[in-house]
Amino acid sequence: MKKSSTLEVEFAGLTLQTPLVLLSGCVGFGEEYTRIAGFSNHDVGAVILKGTTLEPRLGNAPHRLYETPSGMLNAIGLQNPGARHVVDAVLPHLPWSETQFWANANGTSPEEYGEVAAIFDDSPVSAIEINISCPNVKAGGVHFGNDPAMAAKVVAAMRKRTSKPLITKLSPNNADIAEVARCCIDAGSDALSVINTLVGMAVDRECRRPVLANISGGLSGPAIKPVALWKLHQVYQVAAKHGVPILGQGGITTPEDAIDFAIVGAQAIGIGTGLFYDPLLCPKLLEGMDDYLQRHAIARWSELVGTLVA
Amino acid sequence: MPTTPFPFQPMTDPATTSKQPTIFEEQAEILANVSYPGDQFILRLHAPNSAQHAIAGQFVHLRCSEHLPLRRPLSIMQTDRERGTIDLLAKAVGDGTHALRDQPVGTKLPLLGPIGRGFDLSDPDKHYLCIGGGVGIPPMLFAALSLPDPTRVLVLAGSEVPFPFALAPSTFLLPGIGGNTIMAIDSLEQRNIASRLASKAEIYGCFNGFVPQLAANHLLALDPTARAQRVLLACGPLPMLRAVADLGRQLQLPTQLSLEEYMACGIGGCAGCVVETEEHGQRYFRRVCVDGPVFNAAVLPNL
Repeated sequence: MKKSSTLEVEFAGLTLQTPLVLLSGCVGFGEEYTRIAGFSNHDVGAVILKGTTLEPRLGNAPHRLYETPSGMLNAIGLQNPGARHVVDAVLPHLPWSETQFWANANGTSPEEYGEVAAIFDDSPVSAIEINISCPNVKAGGVHFGNDPAMAAKVVAAMRKRTSKPLITKLSPNNADIAEVARCCIDAGSDALSVINTLVGMAVDRECRRPVLANISGGLSGPAIKPVALWKLHQVYQVAAKHGVPILGQGGITTPEDAIDFAIVGAQAIGIGTGLFYDPLLCPKLLEGMDDYLQRHAIARWSELVGTLVA
Repeated sequence: MPTTPFPFQPMTDPATTSKQPTIFEEQAEILANVSYPGDQFILRLHAPNSAQHAIAGQFVHLRCSEHLPLRRPLSIMQTDRERGTIDLLAKAVGDGTHALRDQPVGTKLPLLGPIGRGFDLSDPDKHYLCIGGGVGIPPMLFAALSLPDPTRVLVLAGSEVPFPFALAPSTFLLPGIGGNTIMAIDSLEQRNIASRLASKAEIYGCFNGFVPQLAANHLLALDPTARAQRVLLACGPLPMLRAVADLGRQLQLPTQLSLEEYMACGIGGCAGCVVETEEHGQRYFRRVCVDGPVFNAAVLPNL
C-alpha cells in the first residue's frame, strides 16, 4: 500500500504511520509474521509484543484454543520469556525502521507491573500497554481490571516507573467499563485499549469435559464486534473529555469494521483474530479505509474519529 | 520458574530465525476433490509456491470455508513441482473438514504454506520405517517419496476404513511379516518402495491388527545390525503415536512423531497450538506449527 498521509494518526504523543495496530498475543514477539511473503510492517502504525511478565511463564496446558461461531476462544496463559529477556534478546533484532513496537505488561501485583514498566522504560519500545484484563491467568489480569481502584493502583505503579506513553487495556467483563476508564485516566494512563476478550467456555460433549485446559478462555473475533462497539461508545464518553485516545478492537476483519470503530471513537484500530483469517489483511483494510475517506471528502482519519451522530 | 532456557522460543537464535524459510499465501484452486469410503477425500490443489518449497512432514494452513474463522492445518501428501500442485488427504470429521469436502472443483481457497519443521531424512546410513494411521498416512507417503534411495524405506499404513489408494500385491519379502499380509500401496510399489497395510476391518491382504504391532513384528525379526539402522517416523492418532514412541524407546531407535493440535495463526504468532515437551530436564510448551509438527519422541515423555 502506498503511504498516505490521510491515514497517519497521532496517538498519545506518537505519530502512527497508519491507524492499524497488530494486537498483543497475535504476532508473537514481532518477528514471525515477517516470514509471510507480502507482509509489510510499513502497513501498521505499531506492533504490540506478546504479553510479558517479570519472570518467564510457561503458559497454560493445551488445549489452548477452540473455534466458535464467528470467533474463537483462547487461553494461552501469558507464555513469555520474561521482560529482561525480551528487552535484552528480542528487541535488538526487531526492524525498528519499519514500524513502532509497543510492549504489553502483565503482573500479579502492582509492584510487578511497576518492575516490568521500569525494564521496558529503558528500551526502544515506543509505548507500553498495560494488560489489566487478561482473563486466562489465575492471579492478576482481569481481577485488576474488574476493580476500578485496583486498576488505578496498577496504572499508578507503572506511571511512577516510566515516562513512555501508557495504554491501559480494559476488560469488557465488568459492570462499569467507563468507571474503570475514568480511574485509569486519573491514575496517569495516556490512552486506552478497548476491549480485551470476553470470558467464555466450550464443552467437549463426547468426554463431558471443558475443551480448554484452563476451562474458560477469552472470546475474540467478529462475534464480539457489537459488544466491543458498545463498550467503546461508553469509554469514549469519558476519554473524549480528557483528550485521551482509544485503540479500538474486537472482531475487526473488514474496512467497514474499522470505519465503524473510528466513528464510535477509536483513533487507532487493533487487528488480532482478523490476522488468522487473512495474514495479509492490513493493506486491504487500508485501501478500504482510504476509499471511505475519499468518498466522504474527509481529509484525515482523525477527522472521522468520534463522529457518531447520537 | 526456570530462567534459562526460555519457555517461549522465538528469537533465541536470531541468526537462524532470520533464515527461516518464507511462508506463502496463495489462492489455491481445487483441481480435484475425490471422495472415498469412510468420509475420506483427496484434494489436488494448485498451489505452486507450496509445491515448490514443501518438504515431507510440512503442512498447509487452509481456509476451508469463508464462514469459518480459523484455518485448518493439513499435512501434504504429495507435490508436483512442475505442475505446481499439492495433494491432501482428509476425513470429514468437524466443521472445517466437512466444509472442505463439499467445496467444488474450481473453488479457490486461501492457503498458507509450506509450514513447519518436517522429518529429518538426512542420514544416508539410515533406513526409514514410516508408520501412518488414517489421515496420518499422507506425510508418510511424502517422506517415502522424498528419499532418493527406495531401498531405504518401508511404509506401514493402518486404517479402519478402506484405504483411499489403489492397492496391489507386493513383490517385496519383509522379515516378520506373514505371507497373508500381501497388499501394498500400488503407487509406492511402482516406485520400488516397499509397503504393507494393517486394519482390523478385515480388508483383504492386510495385517489383522494395529499398525504399531505390524511394525514391531517386522523390527523384532530383523537382525540386530539391520534393526539398529532403523529410524521410526510416525503420524496418526494419539494411541498409535504412543505405541510407536514406546516401540522406539524399547528398541532404542530414533523416533520422529508428527503431532496435531487446534491451531489459530499457524505461523508461530499466537502460541495456541502447543505440546508439552521435556528438554534437558526442563518442561516447555512448544508450538506445533513452527517448532513442529515433527518432534523427536525423546522430548515427548508425557505424550
